[in-house]
Amino acid sequence: MHKDTSRTVEQGSVGRFTSKLAQMAEAFEMYQAEGRSLNVSFENDRLSEIRQGQNSGVSIRAVKNGKIGFSYSSKPDELDYVASAAIRMAPYGKVYDYEFAGEAVSPHTRPYDPSCAELNPDKLVAICNHVKDTVKSVDSEALVDCSVGGGVGKSRIVTSNGQDCTEQESSFSFFVSLRLAEEGNFVQNYRFGMANEVIPEDKILQEAKDAAEEFQIARKNAPFAKGKYPVLFAPSALGDILMPIGVSVNGTTIEKKTSRFVDSLGEKLFDERVTLVDDPFHQDGPGGGLYDGEGVPTQKRAFIEKGVLTGFMHTLSTAKRCGHQPTGNAQRSVSSQPSPGMHNLVMADGNDPLAQLMGRAQGGLYISQLLGTFTSNFLAGQVSGNISLGFLVDSGKRVGRVKNCALNVNTFDLLKSAIVGISKEREWVGGRYLPWLLVDGVQISAR
Amino acid sequence: MKEHLTELAKRAGADYCEIRVEDSRQTAIAFQGKDLENVQESHMFGGNVRACVNGCWGFVTFNDIDTLESRVQEAVRNARAAAAANMEKTVLAPVEPVQDVVKLDLKADPRKVSLEEKINLFGGYNERMLGHDGVTSTNLRYFDTFTHLYFANSEGTWLDREAMDMGMGGSAVARVNGTTARGSASEGGRADFDAFRGMEKRFDKAAQDAVESARAEVVEGGSYTVICDPHLAGVFVHEAFGHLSEGDNVAEDKRMQEVLKLGRRFGERYLNIWDTGLDYGLRGYLPYDDEGVRTQKTWLIREGELVGRLHSRETAGRMGEKPTGNARALNYRFPPIPRMRNTCIGNGPHGSFEDLIKDVKLGIYAIDSAGGQTNGELFTFTAGQAFMIRDGKVAERIRDVTIGGNVFDTLKNITGIAGDFHVQDGAGGCGKGGQMPLPVSHGSPHIRIRDVVIGGR
Repeated sequence: MHKDTSRTVEQGSVGRFTSKLAQMAEAFEMYQAEGRSLNVSFENDRLSEIRQGQNSGVSIRAVKNGKIGFSYSSKPDELDYVASAAIRMAPYGKVYDYEFAGEAVSPHTRPYDPSCAELNPDKLVAICNHVKDTVKSVDSEALVDCSVGGGVGKSRIVTSNGQDCTEQESSFSFFVSLRLAEEGNFVQNYRFGMANEVIPEDKILQEAKDAAEEFQIARKNAPFAKGKYPVLFAPSALGDILMPIGVSVNGTTIEKKTSRFVDSLGEKLFDERVTLVDDPFHQDGPGGGLYDGEGVPTQKRAFIEKGVLTGFMHTLSTAKRCGHQPTGNAQRSVSSQPSPGMHNLVMADGNDPLAQLMGRAQGGLYISQLLGTFTSNFLAGQVSGNISLGFLVDSGKRVGRVKNCALNVNTFDLLKSAIVGISKEREWVGGRYLPWLLVDGVQISAR
Repeated sequence: MKEHLTELAKRAGADYCEIRVEDSRQTAIAFQGKDLENVQESHMFGGNVRACVNGCWGFVTFNDIDTLESRVQEAVRNARAAAAANMEKTVLAPVEPVQDVVKLDLKADPRKVSLEEKINLFGGYNERMLGHDGVTSTNLRYFDTFTHLYFANSEGTWLDREAMDMGMGGSAVARVNGTTARGSASEGGRADFDAFRGMEKRFDKAAQDAVESARAEVVEGGSYTVICDPHLAGVFVHEAFGHLSEGDNVAEDKRMQEVLKLGRRFGERYLNIWDTGLDYGLRGYLPYDDEGVRTQKTWLIREGELVGRLHSRETAGRMGEKPTGNARALNYRFPPIPRMRNTCIGNGPHGSFEDLIKDVKLGIYAIDSAGGQTNGELFTFTAGQAFMIRDGKVAERIRDVTIGGNVFDTLKNITGIAGDFHVQDGAGGCGKGGQMPLPVSHGSPHIRIRDVVIGGR
């Protein structure tokens, strides 16, 4: 996004409004957003729905007598209502002990794909049909759900401190799911992808094929007993394992001193092979942006570098209260106040080819999906949940699904002393670009 | 509004068309630690059009009602485009059209309670938690949402319905020797703001739970007999069976229809499960679903046998069964899909909690819920607090207890159902198909389950 020079039509009414708001409030921040989308869905092997969405909204944070009030409306023409409600809320709000974003221009650019605004439903239907055919060519019994779609949006942040930034964004996503219910066995697998440009059909079909091949392996159950095993986490499961770190570098848990990392800046906490970066500018990252949810220019930053804690993720408020510099990590929807969050989580690749790691995981588990981990005690480093899609590894291959087993690991310990290897290969899973991680001695519970 | 929406739906030119318009206003309060982090009033206005042609749907959302006529045309155009590639017959289970106006009937209206009073009440709870030794921080959030819904369909149904939804959840975070743990308390409902008053002791206990949990050891992994309190057992029935009962899992899956054939035995004769929209005041209360179908109490398991499921008109129509009033949408941005309302296990013949525990040599007593998830076959949920059971007695506290199981055989492993019963509403909700958090309730007696997999050290 750039300082937008094409907003002259809108500038008049918004300009008059913000001038009025400046008279009413000691400081303010206005956030406007609008978007539209088109999505095609297949369910149970058949086309079920074509969906078009439109959304809009405006929210205001206004400062009165040194305190911040907030209000939101989905009706973009309700600026006066939102402003007066925000000022009415101010006496109860947080103390305004920082400054809303000042004028700043991001030097970066962001991919914008205008074709996301002109998606053709017939083409999306054709992609879904091809996905179904691809899956069926691998496993004709699998029942297929698929959705493909995208859209465009625009957001604008204006502050009383001089920031006025507009960002256009384009998005495209797909989701492929396969399932098969049999007596005593219910197998399923899925893949999804998100990008800020149209994802080529051959890439979607390759993902569908990979999912179907893994699905086929999962149709056979492997015998398994509880015990300690080497575990190879696929990128889709590694995201769950890394959650305690994301929570512990979040500015809110630092400010409230609930994070274990609160006094650990500069300390070596993990194996030196662990480097974690937040990269809002990654070409293939769907979570990027040039400005955060407060209008602060975003930054590419490592928060774990070679195992050393190098930084936190902050909003303007948490940065001020912690005595740190703002980091451009404010995340929000138009209907909510900002809180710290990651753009795109990128983990550094390792030196080990995936095939070698598979060989070294002999007799252990390959875990693709975990279930229910979001309820874990992340602040303590714990990740616990059911292994919803895991495989026994033999001779460098996944040889069958292990079922009815669970894990409860401490990520802080795991990444400090249990890493066997990190793959050269990496994959995007939503807003995370992660390698495969092989660790040793993981306690697996089973019936 | 009534004539306009009804007329547009009727002359849309689809096999079926419905229009939903929604106007809602929300007050939200959130504390984090000692700070009042958020106080906000919001207004959400919007709607959607859903049209069906040859069994395919066109779905369009809007914020500007002045564009409604063209949105109807778009929805029908999309349904026709989808139908062109999929020639099927639209089969929606028939229902009698209804015309009704549903006004709020509240015991204590949150809109009549000043913002100051709400802040003082919830801020008081927050301060109590912070005042406990060992508590390093807190989270507490409250919301009340008043919604005015208008619904018209091409069959002549018209609903003008008001609804209130309230929820509050607070947790204390304690840190002892580098270990962090939580304790929490929550309340929710649709009719009575006074339910949020007088919760001081519950928040004192939340703080105490947090501190004691932080001192406890992580559970040793393995397979245990578990006794769940009514709150956790309610989450258990929601995750372990409720989602499996939703008609969209079954309606077009012939193999699943075999697995879930009505009459199949899922548990012992003392196991009874239902889902109902009729429990006035609970967050799962719903007089009409989001297809304008009057809700009911739907039996799912009676005396251990599968006897019903949760349907939208489409899933009921495809299976030749009756709609149950379970088609629900989070808000106007989403189409209605089969969802739960208030899902319960009925009380059983095995006496009290003491009767359930007395024969357990080694097990776990799991209390309260930190949430859960299912993928259709497996489920996971996490206890808020937990203790070991040793020789028939509650023993030492343990932490981070995550319970896993297989949907298809865990109900058979319920070996005891007590005679008590409790429904505990909170501030959270159910997630499915990107629609979260949908207000639901769940209730149960204490239950005992054998061979439960617990992830641990």
